[in-house]
Amino acid sequence: MRWRNGWLCVSMALLPAMAMAQTHAEHQARAAEKPALAVGAALDGEGRLWLARVENRLLVVSHSTDGGRSFSPPVAVTPQPEAVTADAENRPKIAVGADGIVHVTWTQNLGKPMTGHIRYARSTDGGRSFSLPVILNDDRQVISHRFDALAVDDQRKSLWDGRGRVAVAWLDARGRSGRTANKSPQTDVGVYAALSQDGGARFAPNHRVADHSCQCCRTALTWTAAGPIAFWRHVFGRNIRDFAIADLNGGPVLRVTDDEWEIDGCPHHGGGIAVDGRGNLHIVWFTNGEKRKGIFHRRIAQTDFSKSASRLDMSAPLPLGDPARQAGHPAVVAQGDRVLLAWREFDGRRFSAWAMLSHDAGATWAPPRKLAEAAQQADYALPLVDAQQALVVWNTAAEGLRVLPVAEGRP
Amino acid sequence: MSRGCLAALFALAAATASAGELRPFTGDSLPAIQKQFAGRPFILTLWSLTCHHCVKELQTLGRLARADRGLPLVIVSTDGPAEAREIRAALKRFGLERFDTWVFADAVPDRLRFGIDPAWRGELPRSYLFDAAHRRTVHSGLMDEAQLRAWLKRQRFG
Repeated sequence: MRWRNGWLCVSMALLPAMAMAQTHAEHQARAAEKPALAVGAALDGEGRLWLARVENRLLVVSHSTDGGRSFSPPVAVTPQPEAVTADAENRPKIAVGADGIVHVTWTQNLGKPMTGHIRYARSTDGGRSFSLPVILNDDRQVISHRFDALAVDDQRKSLWDGRGRVAVAWLDARGRSGRTANKSPQTDVGVYAALSQDGGARFAPNHRVADHSCQCCRTALTWTAAGPIAFWRHVFGRNIRDFAIADLNGGPVLRVTDDEWEIDGCPHHGGGIAVDGRGNLHIVWFTNGEKRKGIFHRRIAQTDFSKSASRLDMSAPLPLGDPARQAGHPAVVAQGDRVLLAWREFDGRRFSAWAMLSHDAGATWAPPRKLAEAAQQADYALPLVDAQQALVVWNTAAEGLRVLPVAEGRP
Repeated sequence: MSRGCLAALFALAAATASAGELRPFTGDSLPAIQKQFAGRPFILTLWSLTCHHCVKELQTLGRLARADRGLPLVIVSTDGPAEAREIRAALKRFGLERFDTWVFADAVPDRLRFGIDPAWRGELPRSYLFDAAHRRTVHSGLMDEAQLRAWLKRQRFG
């Protein structure tokens, strides 16, 4: 009896242990499927709040006419489930033109790490239905075309001629070749763009905006009176990962931060850009550079950004948030003289969402405000502003999607 | 099942886990790793499938591992357990599967990152070189192979 018990014990001990080695991680996998927390949000010309999010591998769009208290039933943009990236630096983008067309872009993962296609769809009936998604990158290799940014021309004149212009920019590894693959890593990813002159019905062939970008930080776009301007983390010199802008209509790469962050690695931490009513650019970004560390805002005075000789008149970097609480992932929006910044902090246990508002195009700022805390995982804080409202959209795992009004108090 | 039998089961499971198994990295894992390497130097490397440079880092470590059977290396992926298959494939590709390999396992991975080092902002690869007294030197980005060899030599031969 003792012997049989012993044998039973050994066999019971061995078999589960062997099985465990094979399936332990798989069990974990099912228990902890990555949540698609990252959402896209925008305000349209009538103050409606638009939301793009991933539900059960479908990209869905809904809108709210009451400042986010209630949303319309979600409408699927993707006809079939697909791997829409919606985590951290990756999120679906949504923008509504002055003509009312709803534009959506996202990055579709192709099944291998760091691969993707840039996808686009639009709605011409107020979000009731969407066109079949298309792939915007005209290079179709299973490589990295990722980190899309979207901007629409919301200048009034596009209403007059009945056409809305659309710009999409992304990071693209098509320049990579056998020759460069094993050399310096910074040589093989660049910024590419596709432009539409007819509200997204057709896009012109892709064009290269810049070589040598950083590989895995989100990009950003804004539409100025002179056209779309992109903002991204670039690789200057051998390995300095500071930020650049470029006018998408063939303008030069202009360096706009000088933090001297030299790292042979991936920051996974980009920035944002917006243009105010006076034509000034507002950038926010993260750096861990020699000269400064943390998140910052800076204003770049209006000028002709298409000329390489342009001397940029830039304000001193303004530090945001508490570095001890890992203030990070800032974003910026502007309308007229109203500029709204938002970022996220983490104290080791909980995330919090923060915002800061300016009523004078970034000359002065109201004190930063903590809008909410999250008990579990949380998306970046997304600011939205128009003449009537200043909001932060914050998607959180425990508390759900929150639309947080920012108090209008003046400094 | 007897208590002794249960103990045997756990002992076997633990032994199996240390031989090439991908272990869930939680808030208690770094102290456990330090205990395992008590009085000995080791290299803690953090990487991710989503990190362009990490492929090169694994390449470097793989080269080092081939030349140095006793390399004191702990490899932690900051991806989730959902990516276990891809993580194991990558480690195998670079000949690193025999080391202590872990994957972040927390619904809020930022807590694990903060727990390792509040000054770490998530950039990858990220490495901590622990000397025998477990004083650590931190490095963001790719490690230089020659410097790494020199560090190992210093730790072993004073």
